Amino acid sequence: MNRYHLVHITEFHYDGPVSESYNEVRLRPLTDERQSCLSFRLTTHPPSQAKSYQDAFGNWVHQFNVLKEHRHLKIETDSVVLRLDAPEVDTKTTLEEVDEEQEELHEEFYDYLVDSKYVPHLAELDELISTAEAGSGGNAFAFAKEAARLIHERFQYVPGATHVASSIVDAIQMGAGVCQDFAHLLLGAARKRGIPARYVSGYLVPQRAENPDSALEEVIGGQASHAWAEVYIPECGWMALDPTLGKDVGARHVRIAYGRDYGDVAPVRGLYNGHAGQRLSVDVQLRPDVDVDGHEQLSGTAALPQEEEIVEERPSQPMQQQQ
Amino acid sequence: MPVKPLNAASRGLFERYEVGEFYDEMFSAPGVPRPHYAKLFQTMAGLQLEQFDERRKIADLSFLLQGITFTVYSDGAGAERLFPFDLIPRIIPYHEWERVERGLAQRVTALNLFLQDVYGPQKILADKRVPRSLIYSCKHFRREMVGLEVPRGIYAHICGIDLIRDSKTGDYLVLEDNVRTPSGVSYVLENRLIMTRTLPEAFQAYGVLPVNHYPTELCRILRSLSPRGGGAAEAVLLTPGIYNSAYFEHSFLAQQMGIELVEGRDLIVDDTVVYMKTIHGLRRVDVIYRRVDDDFLDALVFRSDSLMGVPGLMGAYRAGNVALANAVGNGVADDKAVYAYVPEFIRYYLGEEPILGSVDTYLCGRQKDLGYVLEHLPELVVKAVGESGGYGMLIGPASDKKTVEEFRQKILAEPRNYIAQPLVALSRVPSYDATLDKVGGRHVDLRPYCLFDGDAVTVVPGGLTRVALREGSVVVNSSQGGGSKDTWVLREEGLREED
Repeated sequence: MNRYHLVHITEFHYDGPVSESYNEVRLRPLTDERQSCLSFRLTTHPPSQAKSYQDAFGNWVHQFNVLKEHRHLKIETDSVVLRLDAPEVDTKTTLEEVDEEQEELHEEFYDYLVDSKYVPHLAELDELISTAEAGSGGNAFAFAKEAARLIHERFQYVPGATHVASSIVDAIQMGAGVCQDFAHLLLGAARKRGIPARYVSGYLVPQRAENPDSALEEVIGGQASHAWAEVYIPECGWMALDPTLGKDVGARHVRIAYGRDYGDVAPVRGLYNGHAGQRLSVDVQLRPDVDVDGHEQLSGTAALPQEEEIVEERPSQPMQQQQ
Repeated sequence: MPVKPLNAASRGLFERYEVGEFYDEMFSAPGVPRPHYAKLFQTMAGLQLEQFDERRKIADLSFLLQGITFTVYSDGAGAERLFPFDLIPRIIPYHEWERVERGLAQRVTALNLFLQDVYGPQKILADKRVPRSLIYSCKHFRREMVGLEVPRGIYAHICGIDLIRDSKTGDYLVLEDNVRTPSGVSYVLENRLIMTRTLPEAFQAYGVLPVNHYPTELCRILRSLSPRGGGAAEAVLLTPGIYNSAYFEHSFLAQQMGIELVEGRDLIVDDTVVYMKTIHGLRRVDVIYRRVDDDFLDALVFRSDSLMGVPGLMGAYRAGNVALANAVGNGVADDKAVYAYVPEFIRYYLGEEPILGSVDTYLCGRQKDLGYVLEHLPELVVKAVGESGGYGMLIGPASDKKTVEEFRQKILAEPRNYIAQPLVALSRVPSYDATLDKVGGRHVDLRPYCLFDGDAVTVVPGGLTRVALREGSVVVNSSQGGGSKDTWVLREEGLREED
């Protein structure tokens, strides 16, 4: 059992004044049988009144707006998460059994089996799929693990190689990508083989510096959010795999949201009015074992009473911001 | 109006009229009108073509002067056109209408229950009466609506259900449901107005049920949706703007109902409350009759490049601070593959048998249906499931080999995207053909407008009869060369004299 204190700060600096900023964020860690979000607080500057709801995938979403003119928007979340140890699961389901259940799986997990915007079904993945199958001994979870290993081996982790709108086509072309692409590639391989798979956004708590793998992990964890994938193995349930790290998903992975792909779980998405360019900076601090009172503070934000104002006509296309 | 002297070549309106092999709404045999058309026949048969043509031109001029036009997108020019109006009305006797009305009310009720279920507990999916994969693969199924509670639980407040009459059986069949933002009701009202002015003698010979209460009834329903207490109910009509094909209708309805006609930029959301920008400051909005498609409603949630909508609107909707009519996500019920399951919805939710039949539908996404469709393609009508307005459609019997083959490839590439139906021989009504300068039988459909207030369904008697003006054509859409007719539903027999 691990307890983490997570502070996630997203800042937008605009070159000029902007207004009528509307934002939707998915930043609150999930609570389920494997993890518990003990407290969560969202604050924005300029201040706003965030409203929260759960989307169709069960994720917590907070929406807020800032109408007044501003040049800087800061979104800060503060959460305390208890990560529980995953129970051992016997993963003896075979690929053959998966094949036999295709029709039922298609009905139950339609969203997680069909192609999606970021994860088109590509013939380019066929070779990887058959190699993974050859190395799986016919076992379904072994196939997924092998596919994750192959993706980890064959693709290079290169920060900035792709952008938020890149589909797996770009990653395949470049042979490189970021965690978002690695997760998407695994979704593509699993789904094309008939195994339901979903995208997971979250954090990876860095390991101590003495670990030889820490360089890579600092890049991932220290810079921003992380992403990986979960596959649904009949009789076993959802099993997590991290193709970026090439290692098991364990107590250091904190989950925020699920979706068909990145498009369903973007941490911050918004638009505003104004011609100004923007600079984005994201800082995530993850501190294990911090002693914090676990009071739940869900959507409470440091809010000031909003003054009513007449807003000028929208002069141009709203600008978009996304992280 | 002055009557021109007739020349020897003049002939009566219905001379040489061919009844043909289709169900003719007016004639049971050549020269023999059906009983409910007898009086109209007496009045109109005496008109010479020239006289008729003069009245027709007056009617056209009235439409033009009032600016009752629509825009055609596909020709690239964005030209505004008159929706051709045919002066020979379609008449429906009460006993026929009464059954149609009951059938429509049943269908609207079931469609609402389906939408409530599919965005809520999804019982029909859990019970496997409809495949989950079919619903989740609908282009217009909005995951953003799952779990969102809409005001008073109503999804389809306004439906424009398309009916056709099968020549083989004489039965009315449902062709499409149109529970998103159906248009055309303004033509029903305007057609009636112009009809009574142009051919008053024919109209007065009948007891015709009125249609002009539609805006009042719609306005009553819109105001009843207001989530704000204390009787406050500020309703607005949200239009995409002057370039939309139905802009005339938007301004017409707003004016008839006495509510503001707004574009997205006239509204603003602050902390999940919608306001209208006025010269006196912001005014709270409670109900939006939106004629903007789902995709463009809120750039934060749907298409981010949209300028037509209102950012944050979905948040206000979710918070229960504003009502939208119709609800977001209704397109799932308009999907042409889901259409095949509506009789099942009626059985499942109401425990009743459908009063109105529907057209046999083959879902290309189902393996056994696909085989049949590919084998019989030249006989069938093929439609793209998410399209409307007559776009993306193949009429096998009227198409050349090349077109049929093109559709075969399209179907094979994306089977789920297509359905096929047998070509129903639509009934015909005598209509004036300006190109041939004669009255000929032309195919029609009927779009009645249904309003649902959560308890009861109100159907405007009749609706919009659309007519395929080109000889032999079966496509009635305004975008594809269709016109319209006034539709008269007669008062219950026996009540006629009381008026």
